[in-house]
Amino acid sequence: MNPLIAPPLPFDMKPRAREAVRDLKLQQFVGNATHLKDTQRGGIFGRDFGSDYDDLRTVARDTKQYALDHLDELLERFIASAEASGAKVHAAATADEACAVALKIAREHAAKSCVKSKSMVTEEIGLLPAFEAAGIQTLETDLGEFILQIDGDAPSHIVTPMIHKDRVATAKSFVRELGARYTEDPTELTMIAREHMRGLYRAADLGVSGANFLLADEGSAVICTNEGNFDLSVGGPPVHIVFVGIEKLIRGARDLAPFLKLLARSGTAQPLTVYTSFVRGPRRAGEHGGPKEVHFVLVDAGRVGVLASEKRDLLRCIRCGACLNACPVYRKVGGHSYGSMYAGPIGAVLTPELERAQGNASAGLANYPDLPRASSLCGACYEACPVKIDIPKFLMHDRARLRERGLSPKSEGATLVLWRWLAERPALFRMAIGAVRLHARMLGQKEKTKDGERAWLKSAPGPGAGWTATRDLGIATGESFRDWFAQRDTKGGSR
Amino acid sequence: MRVALFTTCLAEALAPRALKATVLVLEHVGVRPELPTAQTCCGQPMLSNGLPADAAALARRMAEIFAPYDAVVTPSGSCCSVVREKYAGLFDEGSADRAAVDALAAKTFELVEFLETHRHGATAPFLARACCGDVRELPDMAQCCGFGGMFSTQFPEVSTALGEEKLAHVASTGAATLVASDTGCAAHLAGLAHRKGVPLRVISPAEALAESLGLLERQA
Repeated sequence: MNPLIAPPLPFDMKPRAREAVRDLKLQQFVGNATHLKDTQRGGIFGRDFGSDYDDLRTVARDTKQYALDHLDELLERFIASAEASGAKVHAAATADEACAVALKIAREHAAKSCVKSKSMVTEEIGLLPAFEAAGIQTLETDLGEFILQIDGDAPSHIVTPMIHKDRVATAKSFVRELGARYTEDPTELTMIAREHMRGLYRAADLGVSGANFLLADEGSAVICTNEGNFDLSVGGPPVHIVFVGIEKLIRGARDLAPFLKLLARSGTAQPLTVYTSFVRGPRRAGEHGGPKEVHFVLVDAGRVGVLASEKRDLLRCIRCGACLNACPVYRKVGGHSYGSMYAGPIGAVLTPELERAQGNASAGLANYPDLPRASSLCGACYEACPVKIDIPKFLMHDRARLRERGLSPKSEGATLVLWRWLAERPALFRMAIGAVRLHARMLGQKEKTKDGERAWLKSAPGPGAGWTATRDLGIATGESFRDWFAQRDTKGGSR
Repeated sequence: MRVALFTTCLAEALAPRALKATVLVLEHVGVRPELPTAQTCCGQPMLSNGLPADAAALARRMAEIFAPYDAVVTPSGSCCSVVREKYAGLFDEGSADRAAVDALAAKTFELVEFLETHRHGATAPFLARACCGDVRELPDMAQCCGFGGMFSTQFPEVSTALGEEKLAHVASTGAATLVASDTGCAAHLAGLAHRKGVPLRVISPAEALAESLGLLERQA
């Protein structure tokens, strides 16, 4: 798998984050795109739903939570309806099992080529490397994913996978890989990709996609795209395989409306994705189009474990990407800093949790010790989430687990425990504050203003060093507030 | 009505003028705040950094110290939000501790909010006057400034990059003074501006109000 999203473990986020912050192009592309999407998201919800927006989120949250609470029942219903429509349903407990199912289907059809529409779960299970190893040529048909594929790059955003690249890079790749003429015009670039893909759609032996929702009543999958590439990948090849995480189940079409209203608006500030496609069973007698075989691969890969944990809320996620766009840290470090196909705030909690739940209980956080800490806890992700996942709460929860398991810096923990100990002893605590002020007075660069005195520390010891690496620390060194307050009391003053 | 000052340890160390201003403004609207001397730290650093039991110990202290008062007022936004929004999660529902922190949460206010809900309906004009009637709107105001408590030292490059973006937004308004309602965020932005040699005055809403009311001398 691509080390950008499947790095050697334990993963050290800091070097990638530092590099990203210095990468001016990345700052520009990711910063502009996320700000724009986030602003537009606020705009479209305000315009279309006004003060009802919060109610809509509550409905979506509760609907998805209901589905998760009744997952076994919904799974049975989905399997029965899907099989009744002629589809084949496979359960895959692990990533390897999911790939094995696909390889078996491919072998049965002697498949040599595959067209694939965008799917996060196939990134998660490593489907493409598995297909490549088996000699099955796979074409990513989502334009962004296609560009990443020909560049050997990896997605850095759930919804806009090539947010870290621009059309200049795309133009160069198309010249290099497709022998196209150089153009930076987006329409022309799209036409080049389209021309390249069209024939391959028709020739492919296999179509692969993910799904945004699974409808238990109907036994169908719902796929939302903007490019219609899913429809081509399901319309051409004789066999189609839908890979889908079991958490995508909802009761049925009766529950779909709030999610369609929320998904595209949250992700890209569109009222709906351009295509909202339903796939249900293979071509029936008398029908002219559609695959002769449809397979659903229901992927667990840790989800059952998450469901049984305190983090079950995470399974409500509909992969809209709104939390990434809203997150100040994501905007600065970009997706590859998270070392996972799931970047940003949701990725920071989901990645270690999925790993833990896949039987690697001792790893999980140990493999991603930076992720829970890479947040200023500003809460923008929670505000943006259409299904109200309290991501900051889970980040704090993980910080506590890191601390319990000795995976956080020891000196930092010791400082905090000392701080708490002092805080329970008011006299000592006041002395400690006095000591900080004294330290500043002795070593800081003094400045006198009408406010009184202030000293600026240019380099602070211990935990303060991280602060003064880039910032001065201004400490008031004149009369303390308590002295001032006490004096006014004794003097009577203006009181 | 007995009103207590919740000073916050950060403001006592870094921003005593904000605390003085808080007292002066409260007195101006007829509230005589008291200073419970046993208060220390609200526990936010422990809470945010994986030590909830340590935070709970301090939350209990806070509830006890402020129990005799009808209202608790602080100039620092994030400490206020910890008391109001985070303390409850530290204790089981139905426990005595939970009841105590819930009671504290219900009577704790950031200064401007307190003035608006309890005393003086119109603080906005004060703020406007504090800046010579010329309040500029900060672009992208809701984006985090990158302080984030210990995040600022754990990921200094990211924290700084966010702070620089905020300072660029401030600069784009042409304002010489920034009013920030959290002591930590203010220290982060002021420290960054100072390091870069950018002349920017960062003050609390309390100071802006006190200056506009002529209670505190306006800094040169």
